[in-house]
Amino acid sequence: MAQSPFGRRILVVDDDRGLRHVLAELLQGAGHQVGSAGDGPEALAMLGDGSGFDLVLLDIGLPSMSGLDVLARIRHMASPPLVIVMTADDTSATLLEAVRRQAYRYIRKPFPPSAVVDVVSEAGTPASALSIEVVSARPEWLEIVAPCALEMADRLQSFVLHLEANLPEAVREAVASAFRELLTNAIEWGGKFDPNRKVRISCVRTKRLLLYRIADPGEGFDIDKLRHAAITNPDDDPMRHLQVREEQGLRPGGFGLAMTRSLVDDLIYNEARNEVILIKYLDEGE
Amino acid sequence: MQVIERRIGDVTILQLIGRLELETGDLILRDTINRLVEDGQVKLVLDMKEVTRLDSAGIGMLVSKYLTVRRAGGTIKLLHPTERTDHLMDITKLTTVFQVFDDEASAVKSFNTAPAQGM
Repeated sequence: MAQSPFGRRILVVDDDRGLRHVLAELLQGAGHQVGSAGDGPEALAMLGDGSGFDLVLLDIGLPSMSGLDVLARIRHMASPPLVIVMTADDTSATLLEAVRRQAYRYIRKPFPPSAVVDVVSEAGTPASALSIEVVSARPEWLEIVAPCALEMADRLQSFVLHLEANLPEAVREAVASAFRELLTNAIEWGGKFDPNRKVRISCVRTKRLLLYRIADPGEGFDIDKLRHAAITNPDDDPMRHLQVREEQGLRPGGFGLAMTRSLVDDLIYNEARNEVILIKYLDEGE
Repeated sequence: MQVIERRIGDVTILQLIGRLELETGDLILRDTINRLVEDGQVKLVLDMKEVTRLDSAGIGMLVSKYLTVRRAGGTIKLLHPTERTDHLMDITKLTTVFQVFDDEASAVKSFNTAPAQGM
């Protein structure tokens, strides 16, 4: 497929002909060039060394060759495109294998068609794609090491949301939001948005709790000097910290810790405050 | 994020569609409101119904631009916040800062019934 001057070059791989057609129409309407394949061997033949496509929308439940196997083959191509996995199989094992094989994002079926257009428009380029190192990929203990780049917040949040697929939506949303806030803090303040520096993330799941630990490469911070954060505001002046941020030349914000504290049950920092644990307790039924 | 802009009298309605998060929407909102303030448009209603995700940076930008507009003699009011947006505004105690409306007509009308307060 020829290089597109505007949109992305996308390959849709799904054995559902109707879905392939809908996605192709939608993505072409958004200015992308789209090819499609109905199974893994056809997809691999079209991909060649990978250089003809920027992005692959890949179903996992394909006939004759699993989407996860296709993903593994793509990873070893000379010019691997980004792969967005889309599947109705939301088991932890599938998701973790997709993470291990460097899937860029994960979309659970069924999804509103517009969600695919959004994810495609937000995706980076294959050349800029950063790798995630998977240290442990057990459902009850996921541990990864990721570069301190902002795109990781989106990528990892999408996996976290789906990793806890069996929890009530409100719990998943709360945990995913809190996780994203803390991860963004780690990437921005601890890692200075430097992709050569790494943030280490562990997710531990038991029957009664979810625990996330985020360790950033920074030196930590002194909470008494956080006048640029909303948590230090007096009750009657919820915007005081914004003046401090303006004076210090910081972007508007500073609500992350205040939000996170309200979204989870426990938030614990180490002494240096460059590692943090968030805990969400689960009811028996969850 | 996409911002659709329209006028009702001297009130500008900004319909926000998509994510209002760090470097994904917050800068578009900043630039849109800065331009309106430069043009003297300082009676603003932000329709939040189609904001799909909001993070602390997005909230920070909302509040920062609220201050910008107030300093220019106007104000920002919020329309149709989702349950989630409402919850985050509550957590961050910003429900005491923004006037929030469930219908557009009331939001627009409110600019002519209560004079904007100075900072």
